Amino acid sequence: MFLLQCIGVGLISVFCILDSRILGRLNFERPLITCTMVGILLGDVQTGLLVGAQMEMVTLGMMSIGASGVDMNMGSIVGCALVIMTGTNIEMALTVAVPMTVLSNILGMISSIVRIQFTHMCDNYVEASNYKMARVVHSIYGPILYSLFNFIPVFLTVYFGADVVNAITEVVPEWVNNGVSLGANIISFYGFALLLSTMVNKNNVIFFFVGFVISAYSGLGLTAMAVISIVCAFLLYQLRYQDKPTGTTKAVESQIDPDYDELEDLDN
Amino acid sequence: MSKQGLQNQKNLPLKKKVREFFWGAWFMQANWNYERQMNTAFMYGMSNTIDRIYDDPSEDEKRKAAYRRSLEFFNITPQFGAFTLGLAAAMEEEYAEHPDTFDPKMIGAVKTALMGPLSGIGDSLFQGTIRVIAMSIGISLAQQGSILGPIIAMIISIATSAPITWYAGKIGYVKGQEFLEQLTKSNIMDKLMYACSVAGLMVIGAMVASLVNITTPLAMGDALQVQSVLDSILPKMIPLTLTGIMFWIAKKGVKPMVVIVCCFVIGLILNYFGILAV
Repeated sequence: MFLLQCIGVGLISVFCILDSRILGRLNFERPLITCTMVGILLGDVQTGLLVGAQMEMVTLGMMSIGASGVDMNMGSIVGCALVIMTGTNIEMALTVAVPMTVLSNILGMISSIVRIQFTHMCDNYVEASNYKMARVVHSIYGPILYSLFNFIPVFLTVYFGADVVNAITEVVPEWVNNGVSLGANIISFYGFALLLSTMVNKNNVIFFFVGFVISAYSGLGLTAMAVISIVCAFLLYQLRYQDKPTGTTKAVESQIDPDYDELEDLDN
Repeated sequence: MSKQGLQNQKNLPLKKKVREFFWGAWFMQANWNYERQMNTAFMYGMSNTIDRIYDDPSEDEKRKAAYRRSLEFFNITPQFGAFTLGLAAAMEEEYAEHPDTFDPKMIGAVKTALMGPLSGIGDSLFQGTIRVIAMSIGISLAQQGSILGPIIAMIISIATSAPITWYAGKIGYVKGQEFLEQLTKSNIMDKLMYACSVAGLMVIGAMVASLVNITTPLAMGDALQVQSVLDSILPKMIPLTLTGIMFWIAKKGVKPMVVIVCCFVIGLILNYFGILAV
């Protein structure tokens, strides 16, 4: 039974990596989704949801574009599985996820070397007029390689990790737990900041503060704020572009100038 | 001669061609590599078109050349990859029809020119706006213990990603070049970026204010509780300050793993001395 569960978690990690490989990144890879799946698999949906929400918050800002950036998706799956299996507090998920992320980054480097070879195989097959095999290398070899490089480490960590986590939980005092929990929450702000830094500039930073101030004073939840923000986007778009179809070009151009220091606006 | 293959390609129902661009786009990262990034993916997306145009064995050289063209460096937001695939397929047809007047280098040039702008808008739209809105709604529901959180997040993601990929492929193939001219004329990229940044940034602001609450237990007796003083000025001041500090750190380009490990250490210290608490 335990073995089957570990295999199941490994398969979820395969599904997670394939989301961005063959489904154009539909967001199935996000911790919120994968942790819920782990929860369903291991029979504790509530914990899965809570860990998923926690991990999602921490990593929401971490865009993965190409190969750059840190990807905590694998770590979240392992962390969530171990939290449910050992019954420790949900902050433990993040403590597990960090070393797991380091490991999966190293493995990612190795598999990327193999994929360069795949690319050369494609070239050679095309030169040999074997077009079918060139397609197969891309659509089958690639995904299989990704799957193996995720399944094996996730399976092994979940299989052998439960004892380690149990041992840690027994010896760790209360204040360390609270400190780790605080640390995990501080990381969330790093995620927000990363996200912010990809979108913000001098001219639009005000919208960040508008969102913050409305939410801080009114206490409105995120669902309400998401709807409000979409309405605002439409409204401002119309005000800006609909009434005066010409003459705004210059203002827009100056907006996308990348050479400024956004920090000046964010001093607080 | 080649006319038979070209006829087959032209007679194929549009739906079938768009379906190839669609899956070519979703498979964009199946063999991502450091050398030429999504090059094999582009080849995969184009292969059916090329195979049909040059299906005659006597044209193997032309077919090979077309394959080589599609194996050049490529990188794009997957969903918008469909647009490029559609446009390149239309251009390959044109080249097969007028091999003397149409320079095949054009195909590579257009492809390269599209990568930057389409990826810029694509990443802002999909990862910066749609993902953030979908996931933040999902998080707030999941925190209340509702399974609807992840479900709604996925519905939002799929309901935007799938149709956009489909129509990107269709528009790219049917009137790609015309569309490109319109794009540059009407500045639609900038307009879309503007709308994305308004919605995205407002949600990020709301996330800072509502998702994670960090407070301070500092107090001088009962008379002065620091947190209630802060709340009376601006609620959620500590989260806002932390975001500001983190923004500065992110701009400095500190390695993410370093930041994550440091956060744990700082969390332990601040919690131990009772300066901050969750």
